[in-house]
Amino acid sequence: MTGPSGPAPSPGPQQPPHEPVWWTPGPRAAAPGPAAGPSAGRPEPGRTWPTAPAGDATSGPTTPSAAGGWPAPPPRRRAVVALALALVGVLVAAGLVGARLWTTTREWERAAAEWETLARTHGEQLAQATAELEATTGELAATRDQLSTAQTRITELADEKAQLGDTTAAQQQLADYQARVSEAAGTVATALANCIEGQESLIGYLEDVSRYDPAELARFRADVERVCGNASDANAALQRELAR
Amino acid sequence: MASALAACAALPAPPPPVPTSVVPSTAPAPAATEAGSQLSPDGFDAAQRMAVRIRNIGCGALSTGSGFAIDEHTLVTNRHVVADSAELELSTYDGRDVAAEAASSAALADLAVVRTVEPLPAAPVLADADPAIGDAVTVVGYPLGRRLTVTDGRIMGAVTDPLHANLGEVLVTDAPVEPGSSGSAALDSSGRVIGVVYAKNATGMSFVVPVSTLRALLADAAAFAPAPTCG
Repeated sequence: MTGPSGPAPSPGPQQPPHEPVWWTPGPRAAAPGPAAGPSAGRPEPGRTWPTAPAGDATSGPTTPSAAGGWPAPPPRRRAVVALALALVGVLVAAGLVGARLWTTTREWERAAAEWETLARTHGEQLAQATAELEATTGELAATRDQLSTAQTRITELADEKAQLGDTTAAQQQLADYQARVSEAAGTVATALANCIEGQESLIGYLEDVSRYDPAELARFRADVERVCGNASDANAALQRELAR
Repeated sequence: MASALAACAALPAPPPPVPTSVVPSTAPAPAATEAGSQLSPDGFDAAQRMAVRIRNIGCGALSTGSGFAIDEHTLVTNRHVVADSAELELSTYDGRDVAAEAASSAALADLAVVRTVEPLPAAPVLADADPAIGDAVTVVGYPLGRRLTVTDGRIMGAVTDPLHANLGEVLVTDAPVEPGSSGSAALDSSGRVIGVVYAKNATGMSFVVPVSTLRALLADAAAFAPAPTCG
């Protein structure tokens, strides 16, 4: 798999961990160190591995040049690399999140500005509507006052008209009454005149009673009494009319 | 990358589009007001519009009374308001003259109905039942034959008619009335007719023919006969 190939490490002092090592090309080794397993020490196809000089298999510690292979990177470097990669990833993610935040913030700012514009527009409309409402309310109150005044005046005019109607009706009744009284008075006057005239004639006849037929004289007397009775009745009717 | 996507998902979403207007498309209905429910063509309320002034031109006498419409061509008043008339002249709340066609009076109550030639402005609704003691009452009429007035009072009780002009009991109210108020409509708080004013006593109490009597007589075609005239 990985690791330097070649003769198995001889027993002896181990290579210090802090010693520089050669980079091992190919897949990353999971565990550097002495080869283990059946493939240990077998070169991979197509790759040339440095070989150690013969007879050195039993020699002591080898130097990198002496080892001649790609030594595994030390864990610290790989940790640094991994950390760098992680940091890059974090930075990229932070950049993405930041860009997202910036875009969202800009959109919210734009939306807030539009809402403010809309609110100001409606605020102006509300102020205008409120002012118009106040003006209209004032006009309505004035109109109500005018309506109340007009209603009062209508009621007064209706009353005045009714009173005039009453007065007219009463005057018409008075006129009718006066007409009836005048007619009755005229009838009384005529009847009284006829009565007086008849009585004067009767008096003249009675002064020379021998010249007239007693029967005719008696009939004339009865006529005079009837006429005077009618006059008395007419006068009584007049008095009754006057008493109403 | 996954954590970046998760973080982006946790961020607040962009704002929705701002509408061009937030005014409701349908205007809200205004709150109903008490004054708004009593609108009439000329501002007069129904109680005034139904009132009728009656001038009874008799034979050498003149009197006035009140009445109220019960339909377009019929008004109700008192029997003594239309009795012994040579002519009846009617006028409405706004001074319009209305020609009277015929008057009929009831024998069992101080009530009469008058048919008119022209239509009357408005007619009220008769209450279904007589009012209870303590109920509010409003009287609309022409006291002393003068201008139309609206007076308020309460039902004080029910008594046998002291004038013996009505069968059954009549209502007593403390609503102020005067001669000329006879025939005025007595209304409840809903504007429905609860009776017809026909008299008052020396203590200022007014007497009302209850609506139950009015309903009973109106339902009986034989209850009314032509009113006596002086002509």
